[in-house]
Amino acid sequence: MILFRHEVKQNGKSLLIWAVCIGLISFGCLLLFENLADTIGQMAKAYASMGKFSEALGMDRLNISTIEGFYATEIALIHAIGGAMFAAMTGASLLSKEEEGHTAEFLHALPLGRSRIVRQKYTALAALVFLFQIITVLAELAGFAAAGEMPDKNAYAWYHGAQFLMQLEVGSVCFLISAACKRKQIGTALGLALVLYFADMICRILPGTESLKYVTPYYFSNATDIFLAGKMDGILAGIGLAVTAASTAAACFVYKNRDLAA
Amino acid sequence: MSKGRPAVEIRNLTKSYGKHRGVSDISLKIPEGDIFGFLGPNGAGKSTTIRCMLGMLRFQKGEIRLLGMDVRRQTEEILRKVGYMPSEAMFYPNMKVKEVIRFAQKARGMDCGREARKICDLLDVDLEKKIGELSLGNRKKVSIVCAMQHRPELLILDEPTSGLDPLMQEAFFRLLLEYNREGTTVFFSSHVLPEVKRFCRHAGMIREGELIRTDSVENLLKSPVRQVRYWKDGKEEAFSYSGEMKELVRRLNGLEVEDLLIEEPSLEESFRHYYEEG
Repeated sequence: MILFRHEVKQNGKSLLIWAVCIGLISFGCLLLFENLADTIGQMAKAYASMGKFSEALGMDRLNISTIEGFYATEIALIHAIGGAMFAAMTGASLLSKEEEGHTAEFLHALPLGRSRIVRQKYTALAALVFLFQIITVLAELAGFAAAGEMPDKNAYAWYHGAQFLMQLEVGSVCFLISAACKRKQIGTALGLALVLYFADMICRILPGTESLKYVTPYYFSNATDIFLAGKMDGILAGIGLAVTAASTAAACFVYKNRDLAA
Repeated sequence: MSKGRPAVEIRNLTKSYGKHRGVSDISLKIPEGDIFGFLGPNGAGKSTTIRCMLGMLRFQKGEIRLLGMDVRRQTEEILRKVGYMPSEAMFYPNMKVKEVIRFAQKARGMDCGREARKICDLLDVDLEKKIGELSLGNRKKVSIVCAMQHRPELLILDEPTSGLDPLMQEAFFRLLLEYNREGTTVFFSSHVLPEVKRFCRHAGMIREGELIRTDSVENLLKSPVRQVRYWKDGKEEAFSYSGEMKELVRRLNGLEVEDLLIEEPSLEESFRHYYEEG
C-alpha cells in the first residue's frame, strides 16, 4: 500500500484546507442559528412565499426555524458543493498529475504495474473523501453541541452516508477523466461538480426535467429529502453506485491500455 | 542469470503515434553482460524504443523480451530486475531526497539501504534536501540511486550523463563498470560519442525511427567509410567516402589536388556519415 499512503500524504494539505474550511463554515453557521433564531423565524415566513425556489431548497417541507431544518436547507448545501468540488479536484489530478509533473517515468519504472497504481490511487481517493466526511462531521457535531440541540441521529448518519456516496461518484467520474488525460483537468472537474448541482436544482424546479434525478447524485443525497424520509432513496443511490463502479472500471481499462507521456 | 540468453531481444518493433512516425521494424539483440550504446539524433526514436522496452508505450507490431521475459505480459517481473534512469529526472518536488529513495525501495519491496548509502556517498547526494530545491545534475544523481540501488540485472539509461559535471560523470561510469563486472547488462542512449567509444562494447545507430547499424564499437570504428582531406589552391576540403577505391581515385583525379590525406574516421565522423547518408 506504498502508493496509497503516498497519495494520502501528498493530498493531506488539500484535504485539511477543504475540510477545515467547510467544517468551520458549518460550525459558524450552527453557532449563528442560536443568535439569529428570531430573524430566522421571519426568514421562514418569507421563504414560504417564494414558491418553486423554496421547493428546490426544500424549505416548503422543513421548517428552517428549527436547527434540523436550518441545517438541512442551508448548511448541508455548503457541505455538498464543497465536498463534491474537493472530490472532483482530487479525482481529476490523481493519475494525470504524474504525466503533467513528468514523474510518470519514475513511477512506472517501479514494479507496481498499472492495475495496482490505479487501485491504490483510487483507494486513496475513497479514503480522502471519507476523511473529509469525518472532519466535517466532527466540526458540525461541535456546532450542534454548542447550539445545544442535536439532529436526528439516524437521518444525520444516512445523510453523511449519502454525501460520501455522492462525492465518491463525482470523484470517480473525474478519476476516469484523469485516467484518459495527460494533464490535470481541474476546470472540467469543478465544472462537472457545479453542473450536477444545477441539474439537481433544475429537476426540482422545472416540470418535465424530473429524469435528471437519475443523472445527478445530488438528488439522492439531498439533505431535506433524507431528513424528511429518515433514509436515502435506495434506487437512486444504487444508480450512483453503478456509475461509480463503471467509472472506476473504465478508468482502469483506459489507463492500462494507453501510452504514457514522459 | 541464465547463460547464453540475450538480456535484450527486440524483434521487428514498430510503434507509431497516429500519423506520426515512432520507430519502424527495429530488431536488436544484446547479450548478457554487455554495455550497449544506443546512438541517434534528437527525435530519431531512442526514447520511444526505451519506453516500449519498459512497457510505458503500447507498440503495434513486434516483440520485446528483456532478461528472457515478454514485456507485454511480464512487465512487473521485468521491472523488478531492471533499473531505469530517464533523461528527465523528475520526482515529487515536495519530498525530500531520502523520502524518494525510500519510496523506490518500498515499491520494490526490498531493503537496499546499504547499497543506496554507498551510491549516495560516492555521488555526494544530499539526502535532506527537498527535490524542488535540486538542480538537474543533483536530480540526476537521485535518479542514479533509484535506478541502481537494487543492483538490477539490466540497466536502461536514457542520456544518463546530461547535467552531470565531469567529476560526477567519472564517478558514475566507475560505478557502472563495477556493476557490469558483477554481471549487470547496460543499455544506454547517448549523444556523447567519446563515452560510447570509451565504455561500450557494442553500439547501435538509429535514424528517423530505423536502426541503421548495430555492431561492436571496434567494428564501427573499422568502418569502410574513409575521411578524405585534400588541399587545392591553398584551401583544405574534406568529405566522407564509402565505396570502391578506384571510384575515389577517379573522383580525385580531376581535382588537381596539392596534397591528400585518406584516413579511417573517428567514431564521431562515422556517426556523422551515417546520419548524413540517406
